[in-house]
Amino acid sequence: MTVDASPLRWQDGQGEHIDVRGLAPPQPLVAVLRLVHELGDSGTAVVVHHDRDPALLYPELAELGWAAERIDGEPGEVRLLLKRSS
Amino acid sequence: MALAATFLGSARSRLLPASIPFRFFAAAVVFHVAAWLVLLAGGADVPGFAGGLGLPLAALHLVTLGVLVMTAIGASLQLLPVATRQSAGSPRAMSLLWWCYTPGVALLTLAMAIGHRWLLAAGAVAVVVSLAGYALLLGRNLLGAKGMATVVAHGWLALACLVVVMASGFSLAAAYHGHALFDRASAIGLHVAFAPYGFMGLLMLGFSYILVPMFALAESPAQQPARVSVAMAGLALALAAPAAFGVRPALLWPLAIVAAMVALAVHVTLMRRALRSGMRRRLGRPIVLVHVGWAGLFASLLAALALVREAGIARLATLLGVLLVGALLSFLLGMLSRIVPFLASMHAAPGRRGPPLPSTLAAGSPLAIHFWCHLAALALLLAAVAADSAWLARAAGAVGATGALAFAWFFALVCRRMRPAPLPST
Repeated sequence: MTVDASPLRWQDGQGEHIDVRGLAPPQPLVAVLRLVHELGDSGTAVVVHHDRDPALLYPELAELGWAAERIDGEPGEVRLLLKRSS
Repeated sequence: MALAATFLGSARSRLLPASIPFRFFAAAVVFHVAAWLVLLAGGADVPGFAGGLGLPLAALHLVTLGVLVMTAIGASLQLLPVATRQSAGSPRAMSLLWWCYTPGVALLTLAMAIGHRWLLAAGAVAVVVSLAGYALLLGRNLLGAKGMATVVAHGWLALACLVVVMASGFSLAAAYHGHALFDRASAIGLHVAFAPYGFMGLLMLGFSYILVPMFALAESPAQQPARVSVAMAGLALALAAPAAFGVRPALLWPLAIVAAMVALAVHVTLMRRALRSGMRRRLGRPIVLVHVGWAGLFASLLAALALVREAGIARLATLLGVLLVGALLSFLLGMLSRIVPFLASMHAAPGRRGPPLPSTLAAGSPLAIHFWCHLAALALLLAAVAADSAWLARAAGAVGATGALAFAWFFALVCRRMRPAPLPST
């Protein structure tokens, strides 16, 4: 009974990528936090591909001890690098 | 944490200035205290209240206009652009809206309390003009909405209800000067159906599709049943409108109420599934208040059904009013106690160790006091109406005011913690 909210995910040298573009709120938030929970303390960074600045995500990340940094992405894309805070 | 601080800076630029949503919330917090105090003062007239100017009517509108609509405006101005991917809009227009609406509500409820006809007219004009301004802001946002079809459908229906609420409310106020738009019974029927159930109820249901999954960190509810829910709500209102004007009321009112029950049942089922499937299970007292709100709405619809079927229960209309307004207030305060620390964290000035976390901004003790006082006050108020007891009504006012002061304490603490800590002098 839930909508099909399946963001694309892949890995490269930068870390675990998740593409949440096109998903309706609050699915990008939920998908990113689910991934962050999965990774836990593994030390893997997360690269988020978003179509807007996810204002509601930052307090949730901070609660989990993660920090976000904006990095270069495609035109019209908001790309974030998430890392566990030291 | 430095990265987060840097990034929160750019996030903050997307948000409205904190002063916009928080001024609406602050006014709601003040009106909340005032509502219970006015109820305390007018306790003798509460159990048998059946309309007309006086302290009970003032207390009722301090809650509906002062707390419910005030909070809905503040929250929707901030949250709806995020949901519909729109620009936030002009802070100046929103500030002007607050400066017109807040004194308007104060004036209108004062006039209701003291029975002053000309102040009533002035307050009604200020409130209707303000709500028309809000309707324009809401309509502009919904027109450009991208995605979120269910939320947008709720928004459009709520907007249509707001137009009916403004017309019926204005008609009721103008009736004291002999210029009513509709006869009094029709205006009251429209006002009761379209203000709490229509406008507030639909905003509440619509925003829940974002807020409940967000709080529980759950997948979005399925679209198809959500569409059924909003369609049934629309049907309920479409049936209620002719019934209010005396068209087959014995048939249309019960059908409207049953349609509203189906809409609510589908919605609550979806929300409870989201809560059960979410990553975050321990949502605390706020979600208990949300559940109280849902249960109270069901109970109010049952009371409405008994009323239109002429069940012969004493003071049933007053009981319905308490159940309905109590349900909406419970839901809204539950949501507000989650939203305020969250928004405050996004707006807070970062200190030396980064921006404050929502959990450090939330204040546990005042919210616990508010929770128990709120539930006790509602129970006392229901008992007061059932037993026709002025003393119980006064007790409800006193306990409710204590809870409302605790909520104001919580709000003040969050606002204070938003400010950065002073740097040490050494």
